[in-house]
Amino acid sequence: MTDDVKVADKTDSLTDLKETDEDLRLPSVVEPAHFPVETIDTEARHQTPAVGQRATRPDGRLHGLGQTKYIDDITFPNMLFAKMKRAGISSALIKSVDTSEAEAMPGVAAVLTGREIPVNSYGPSYQDQPVLADERVFHAGDPVAAVAAVTEQIAEEACERIKVEYEPLEPVYDPVEAMKDEIRVHPPHSNIYATKRIKKGDLEKGFAEADRIFEGVYSTQMIEHVPLEPHASIAQWDPNGRVTLWSSLGRITLGRADIARTLDMPINKIRIVGTIVGGNFGGKNEITTEPALALLSRKTGRPVKMVYTREEEFIASTTRHPFIMEYKTGVTNDGMITARKVRLVLDGGAYCSWSETTLGKACILSAGPYNIENLLAEAYCMYTNKTMTGAMRGFGAPQVCFAYESQMDEIAHKLGIDPLELRMKNAFHEGSASPTGQVLQSVVVKDSLEKAAERFGWKEDGQ
Amino acid sequence: MRAFDFVSAESADQAISLLSEHGPNVIVLAGGTDILVDLKHAKHDPDVVVDITRAEDLKGIEVNDGGLRIGALVTHTQIMDDPYIRENFPALVHAAHTIGAVQTRNLGTLGGNLVTCVPSMDSGPALMALEAEVTVAGPDGTRRMGLEEFFVGPRKTVLEHNEVLLDVIIPRKNLGKPADFLKFGLRKGQALALVNAASALWVGEGNTFKDVKISLGAVAPTVIRAAAAEDFLEGREITPENMAEAGRLAVEDAKPIDDFRASASYRRDLIAVLTKRTLDNAYRLAQGG
Amino acid sequence: MTDVTLTINGEERSASVPPETSLLRLLRDEFFLTGSKLGCDVGDCGACTVIVDGLPVNACLMLAGQVDGRDVVTIEGLATLEDLHPIQKAFEEFASLQCGFCGPGVIISAKGLLDRNPDPTKEEIKDALSGNLCRCTGYTKMIEAVQDAARILRGEKEAA
Repeated sequence: MTDDVKVADKTDSLTDLKETDEDLRLPSVVEPAHFPVETIDTEARHQTPAVGQRATRPDGRLHGLGQTKYIDDITFPNMLFAKMKRAGISSALIKSVDTSEAEAMPGVAAVLTGREIPVNSYGPSYQDQPVLADERVFHAGDPVAAVAAVTEQIAEEACERIKVEYEPLEPVYDPVEAMKDEIRVHPPHSNIYATKRIKKGDLEKGFAEADRIFEGVYSTQMIEHVPLEPHASIAQWDPNGRVTLWSSLGRITLGRADIARTLDMPINKIRIVGTIVGGNFGGKNEITTEPALALLSRKTGRPVKMVYTREEEFIASTTRHPFIMEYKTGVTNDGMITARKVRLVLDGGAYCSWSETTLGKACILSAGPYNIENLLAEAYCMYTNKTMTGAMRGFGAPQVCFAYESQMDEIAHKLGIDPLELRMKNAFHEGSASPTGQVLQSVVVKDSLEKAAERFGWKEDGQ
Repeated sequence: MRAFDFVSAESADQAISLLSEHGPNVIVLAGGTDILVDLKHAKHDPDVVVDITRAEDLKGIEVNDGGLRIGALVTHTQIMDDPYIRENFPALVHAAHTIGAVQTRNLGTLGGNLVTCVPSMDSGPALMALEAEVTVAGPDGTRRMGLEEFFVGPRKTVLEHNEVLLDVIIPRKNLGKPADFLKFGLRKGQALALVNAASALWVGEGNTFKDVKISLGAVAPTVIRAAAAEDFLEGREITPENMAEAGRLAVEDAKPIDDFRASASYRRDLIAVLTKRTLDNAYRLAQGG
Repeated sequence: MTDVTLTINGEERSASVPPETSLLRLLRDEFFLTGSKLGCDVGDCGACTVIVDGLPVNACLMLAGQVDGRDVVTIEGLATLEDLHPIQKAFEEFASLQCGFCGPGVIISAKGLLDRNPDPTKEEIKDALSGNLCRCTGYTKMIEAVQDAARILRGEKEAA
């Protein structure tokens, strides 16, 4: 019998098998080009042969063929479609939710309200966000009920027929106003839900050493990630009491823990299938509709899909924090920064989401890539009755960059120093210490600035 | 979208009779670039949608005794591609090109842009500066009117529920009249105008403004003519100073508002600048460059 | 219900759908051609771009009833069993797509351009793609890929 089995008895026949295997592989990845001898003849190039090479993406072909399956491209037999009723009021107590008319509609399979959710709160750092608002509405995009129906159209109409009675409360929208805590978004808690303070050197001494002191207030706006693929999920509860979720979530492990908490279920009964994500940018780093879909699936015994509309992306998914940034900087007449005081107020919206992370990073980076011996940076994150803010590319770094670089330009202008030179004078160098005392290595700020200035002809423009 | 019935008309006459039959809660569907959006957002909840995209008599671009006739269903792309318009009315080509993007220009129609009647429409100013007229057809026949009369207010024209816009006609006297259109949006593509403007003029004896017409968009409830600026220029010598003065006067003709796209004062600045530039460009065109 | 018979990627197809069905829903839900994506549903993002009677349009802005008897080409109609379309090949080679959600729409817009203008300038390519949003912002590589595909389609360059 064993005679029939092909056995490799020599080393080179094994090589043959391997080569055959290579030949059989689908040409999904373009063969890497050979490197010209001149460019690879350095040690670094031997270590990192990818540098300088054009790389294709392993998923590129399917994308171009339109064959990549995002959540909305997946269907299951008997699948239902969910929609959520949005509050449309930014702060209110919920007196009653009447779903009877929606439930009676032909084609509606189930309606879910906040009171049916085992643990109706979630969030990646603070669990301050309800899956479906039950007692109170914190911002206008809050969902107050969810409907599963045989078509999206019916689910949408059913949402219109859900009657919610509110007792309106006075909202607070301005983060600076919110600092007074006169109107609390999540009573009895303070609106200031996260703070950070970084202190270095002696601020008073630093300002005393300065010839000039510059003060400015800078602000940035709320920005939505607008991933081209809206948030989408499918939930399927199975008869063994387990639930499988196909989700566009970027952090599935974290999401799984959060879902387990809201459903009050052991984590091993929850399976998340992370599908290809059609754009995340930080906006898909936490769960959204998943627990509600899981419960709708349990109620109906059928898979349930929900895809956000573009409007829901704006009103019900996280956004980038608007910042209000106060900068006070002491400078000598020849342009050396002696002290800087920074105060950041982050508009956190209705829920924490990734605000803590954003706050921390913004605070650490708020002094800019400059050697500043005497520094005080403090930051506050505020609840307001607006769409929640969370992670977005850079976690607060772009906002503070706008402020400190704007002020650097103002300083350069007022002192009559070339803006590039002002930055070169103060920029980090090898071994500089960051505001938190980290000794920095591989510092190339000055080289990058010089190269950039050369490339776009900074000096030639007579700036 | 909410449920509705869908019927298709093969001609303008059939469209009118379908509209009369199913009205008044009916809506005409042409390019659909605005209507479909409104239907999805439940701004309209019609019983019946009458599709007119198959009505051949609403299509076509031709020069006849009356002037240049552009069928209401002519798309923005067709205007951009038409050899006669490219040769004689670059302002119309520019205006069409600033609308939406390729996909929406392939769908969207000239008639639709006029009938939707948003104050920032890009088809309006150049046509109004060229004194274009429209033909409206209803159960009782057709009527002709200027665009100033056709536009009633934001998103409102003289059209009754059972009437359709047949065509747009640039009168024979204005064939080849030098004209320019400029739009200022926040981006090059897919942007609504903060202000748009068009000027048309002949060069009279002694290098003077003759029959100068100026039209502005996004600065009043409808596209408007800048009458004070026109009156000032008529018969005056063509100079940069006079063009700039016309720009200042055009601001008086307009009633711009503050909204989330721009402040009224910013719009006033834009009116002055765009008016001056369109006059200047139209004059250059008249000089053969 | 509205009955429609149309040509999709060279094949005649029929369906009976509610009158309010958009062309995009028709393609995705009735014919399972999910390559055309629903990104905004209001004609802003271009992820649903398909070619109708030779011209790229937003499938979300047409009703199914309007395409009765017409010719529709979707992203699924570009490649053959033997080979990718040169634009698809170039997009792969230049790694022009990151998350890929905008990709089918962009490629269809590029086809719409090259069908009418085989030798477009960079500005013309930008204009043709201005109705397609990419939030991973890979426009530069897309433009390079369209230029490369144009060279191949004109026969100036061998396909890779």
